[in-house]
Amino acid sequence: MSNEDIKDLVQIFIESNVAEMEVKRGENSIRLRRSFGQAPTAEFVLPQMMPQQAPAVISSAPAPPAAIPIPSAAPDLLVKSPIVGTYYDSPKPGDAPFVKVGDPVEPGHVLCIIESMKLMNEIECEVAGTVAGKLMENGRPVEYGEALFAIRPR
Amino acid sequence: MPLDATWVQAQLPGRPISWFATIDSTMFAASRLASEHAPSGTVVGADEQTAGHGRYGRPWHSEPDAGLYFSVILRFPFPPDALPLVVLALGLAAADAILKSTGLVCDLRWPNDLLIHEKKCAGILPQLEGSAIIAGFGVNVNHASFPSEIAPLATSLRIESGLAQSRETLLAELLPAIDSYCEILVSDGKRAILDMFTQASSYVHGRRVRVDQGDSTLIGITVGLNAAGFLMLRDDMGKAHTIIAGGVRPCF
Repeated sequence: MSNEDIKDLVQIFIESNVAEMEVKRGENSIRLRRSFGQAPTAEFVLPQMMPQQAPAVISSAPAPPAAIPIPSAAPDLLVKSPIVGTYYDSPKPGDAPFVKVGDPVEPGHVLCIIESMKLMNEIECEVAGTVAGKLMENGRPVEYGEALFAIRPR
Repeated sequence: MPLDATWVQAQLPGRPISWFATIDSTMFAASRLASEHAPSGTVVGADEQTAGHGRYGRPWHSEPDAGLYFSVILRFPFPPDALPLVVLALGLAAADAILKSTGLVCDLRWPNDLLIHEKKCAGILPQLEGSAIIAGFGVNVNHASFPSEIAPLATSLRIESGLAQSRETLLAELLPAIDSYCEILVSDGKRAILDMFTQASSYVHGRRVRVDQGDSTLIGITVGLNAAGFLMLRDDMGKAHTIIAGGVRPCF
């Protein structure tokens, strides 16, 4: 996970309304959390980059950019994977993604496919709202319960 | 000749079967029925599909009247961690039904391609929709030949046995077999399906395979299934890999 990736994730987190977010990419993971009304905090676990150390946890409290206030409304909803599998963000290779950040979605709107062995699992949105964050890269393996999308309810 | 759905229905009283001469895709129709709360075991089949498809929307060659093309709605209380094993259970069910109705022994290529002499005779595409699984089956039954682009990879039960085979008999064997193997997974657990699949498939241990994983290809020797049913592989550097999804092909 590069610094750019981390910056992107922090930005998604700041712009979203979720209280806590965890993203895993291979052996790296990042957990971001906040209490509403406070600045976000972040924990990075990057085992590949710090082989000499005990499990590395770095905490920081970056101030959110002044132009993007943290909303105090109900938190965004995280859509999680119901199964271990591979994440696909389009119906087939080369197709446009099911959704983009900023797209309006309704209940039943297909967000992605998780393939486990050959079991194709269409993940549908359960609420009406807007896609606030896409938290997974196309073609990546996902774990059971891993967050895939942040949806801002309408 | 069109499939005699009345005969099949007589063998399986009480099972909802809708059979069409031509349909776009039995998956689309079964999916609609599932969303209208159709019960477990509901079957939608057709003598011809005009938009039959496999994994990633790949077209499935659905020659009129020659193959058995259907989708079945499954509603079983599978624990979430057992869901992927339904894929293996469906392959076992199809191999069992083909053996009983034709005498032909199929190999299973993980996760559930049915092969005879290394050529594919059936494909199964399960899809999870809400609490239901829609499983699409395409079995090459009476094809005399295949288009040249898939001929090296595909075979039919007729080609392999030298005899025309009854699609009705196969369907009447296959539908109860699907239920039986799903019930085994629910009642006996994952281990039972893992053991049966390991026994039935030449691909689980000691096969050199190539696995296409989108932007990369993995080559190695298979070293069994893990407890979740995923295929384990050791590459040429000795590194272990777990295959979650992807096309497994022999590598020589």
